Amino acid sequence: MAVRREKAERLADEELMPLVGRKDPEAFEILYDRHGGVAYSLAYRIVGDRAAAEEVTQEAFISVWRSGARFDAARGSVRSWLLSVVRNRAIDFLRSRASKAPKLDFDDEASLEQRPARERTEEEALRRETSAELRGALGKLPGEQSKVIELAYFGGFSHSEIARILGLPMGTVKGRMRLGLEKIRGELAEGLA
Amino acid sequence: MNASNHNRWSDDLAAYVLGALERDEAGAFERHLESCSRCQEEARWLQPALQTLPESVERTDPPPQLRESLMAEVRADARAARAPERQARSRSWGWLLKPAAGLAVVALLVAGVVGYEVGKDDGSSGGGGVSTLERQIDGISVRMVQEGDGGTLQLSNLDQLPPDKVLEAWVEREGQVEAVPALFVPDRHGHAETTIADMSGVETVMVTEEPRGGSETPTGEPIMAMAVPQ
Repeated sequence: MAVRREKAERLADEELMPLVGRKDPEAFEILYDRHGGVAYSLAYRIVGDRAAAEEVTQEAFISVWRSGARFDAARGSVRSWLLSVVRNRAIDFLRSRASKAPKLDFDDEASLEQRPARERTEEEALRRETSAELRGALGKLPGEQSKVIELAYFGGFSHSEIARILGLPMGTVKGRMRLGLEKIRGELAEGLA
Repeated sequence: MNASNHNRWSDDLAAYVLGALERDEAGAFERHLESCSRCQEEARWLQPALQTLPESVERTDPPPQLRESLMAEVRADARAARAPERQARSRSWGWLLKPAAGLAVVALLVAGVVGYEVGKDDGSSGGGGVSTLERQIDGISVRMVQEGDGGTLQLSNLDQLPPDKVLEAWVEREGQVEAVPALFVPDRHGHAETTIADMSGVETVMVTEEPRGGSETPTGEPIMAMAVPQ
């Protein structure tokens, strides 16, 4: 039995999840209304076009709807769980788009448009990282640290791929990731102090 | 766990939290993590930093059709999840569908369960007046507008149909089931409507999914059946 909307709206996310697990569309709709905006924004930030972001967001929310019972409150908030599902779907989308690209000769003097999608994605990712206005906690990091974190989190690149893209030793990439995350964490701790 | 063993892995921690280790590296790190309380503690400590990353993106409003399309799929899923319960309740739509008289039972069932909610735009129910009947039936919003002898059946929150299927409306009148000639399909927003030219004496309206081209008699379970007050 679906709960009445006005009653459900007063429930915390964690209280809505058991209802979602029991296939209550109203509870799920409230979750979407609360988090759909940031979820779509995250998907758009990663995949870079609106139609794909829409597809990724819908897939992610449907996956949450069908697996709501698997949410474990001990491991974090509903919002962070949901956003991690969106992020994983978006990265999968990027990878599948890259793997469908035609294989071309790397020595060819081809234009960017003719290059394999994976390579193009790397260039696009780099361009976005360098030109985008960095926001929030990331914006306070030195560029060399925010860049490796953004390539990993929003680009879905592994540390070895980032090392190749940036021409850095792998240890340097991992070190910058660590310094960057620790600095963000430190800022959060100061904000709470 | 001694310090040198921990230090060997500590550089991988941030890359692991960011999901940036290769698959085999991540597997090895997870095996280490199971037995290293320092790494567990540091990974927990870094989690809030990771959670700020999606929150840092510039906000872009999702298109309204995303919500509509998502909720249409969710409602269809919820209906499917409730289907066994509905089937148990109605036991055997099959025999109800075959003889025309079966629809009378459906009408009684629907009227008995949900009751009527009739609004009359002009206060009259017959002649040239307009009356509106609205229902929620198994997640489908049904609106029946009667004007004079004719009527329009409007449905919302419908699932999309397979390409080889259409919707067909049926009316029961004096114990006989008649097909409504116009076949129809939901639009991309899950709305569909059809016109019933002659509503005189109609006791029940129902809609089924039928093969493209329609059927002479209903072949499946109705997606909705509604009694029409006389």
